[in-house]
Amino acid sequence: MSVADAAGSDVFVWSMIVGIGIATFLIRFAPLALLAHLDLPEWLRQALRYVPPAVMAAIIAPPLFFVGGAPTIGPELPRAAAAALATVVAWRTRSTWLTVVLGMLALWGLRALVG
Amino acid sequence: MPQVPSTRVEFIAGLRAFAPLSMSILPFGMVCGAAASTAGMTSAQALAMSWVIFAGSAQIAATQLYAGGAPLLVILATPTIINLRFLMYGASLAPHFGTLDRRRQALIAYLLTDQAYALTVVRCAQTTDRRNLHWFYFGLAGATWLCWQIATIVGVLLGSLVPANWSLDFIVPLTFIAMLVPLLADRAMAFAAVVGGTASVLLVLPLRLNLIAAALIGVGAGLAADRLGKRA
Repeated sequence: MSVADAAGSDVFVWSMIVGIGIATFLIRFAPLALLAHLDLPEWLRQALRYVPPAVMAAIIAPPLFFVGGAPTIGPELPRAAAAALATVVAWRTRSTWLTVVLGMLALWGLRALVG
Repeated sequence: MPQVPSTRVEFIAGLRAFAPLSMSILPFGMVCGAAASTAGMTSAQALAMSWVIFAGSAQIAATQLYAGGAPLLVILATPTIINLRFLMYGASLAPHFGTLDRRRQALIAYLLTDQAYALTVVRCAQTTDRRNLHWFYFGLAGATWLCWQIATIVGVLLGSLVPANWSLDFIVPLTFIAMLVPLLADRAMAFAAVVGGTASVLLVLPLRLNLIAAALIGVGAGLAADRLGKRA
């Protein structure tokens, strides 16, 4: 990477961090500060309830099926299977640590079996 | 007549409420730090993600988009949509914190997380006099903030030391699974998750707009399921 490229990517990353930071703060601050003037309509309240599950699932799913952006379901079968097992663990135990540890062990185990 | 809990009592109650949370915040913060540094950010940038933005799902989404070469506007828009849920939290906390001065409100806003919101609502239901509720919040959210920063530092330091064939990037979906599953309070929520996840896999959109589109489709599916469920 040339010096100019490095500097360009530096500006890019800092703009990204500061931009998201400002937007996030304003979203968090506006309802507290504008209390009297801001009453969220019922439909928006309803819709916002579904943002966390929809977003989280959308973040989780693609890396389970694609490697490097190409739909190659075969080689990533261990990931999908380990994620399914982790879902059961999360459901039964509600423990982040157990979900992460058992999920990783499942991935390594399945890789060893397949690989 | 019950006394107003002192600021100290409230603050300590907030710290206590935080203790079990550390079990989920530590691994998630480490993942955020490690992911940012493996995506090619400098250590200063990876740490700044955590103290400037201080919102895990948004940080992970931004990191993934950055690593995938998405344009700046998409990287800015996606976490903003993810963070829209804070509008709902803020509106729900406003009756309790709306009378505080602006500086305290700004601090409360900066420290707002899913966990701080959820546990403050629980605390609210347990106490009758809420004049010092913000001290409970400061104890809880302040400890969360500190834990998040420490976890990020550990993630940045360790992330680059771990060999790639250990596939530690898989911890990202695992921590999200651990957060997502307990959230699914009813069928409509589960439906929103299933549709959102499926859409993000199947949609092929330019500029990496999949995440935003999939999230909106998932939200629409949840709303539709809710309507249908009520009618049935």
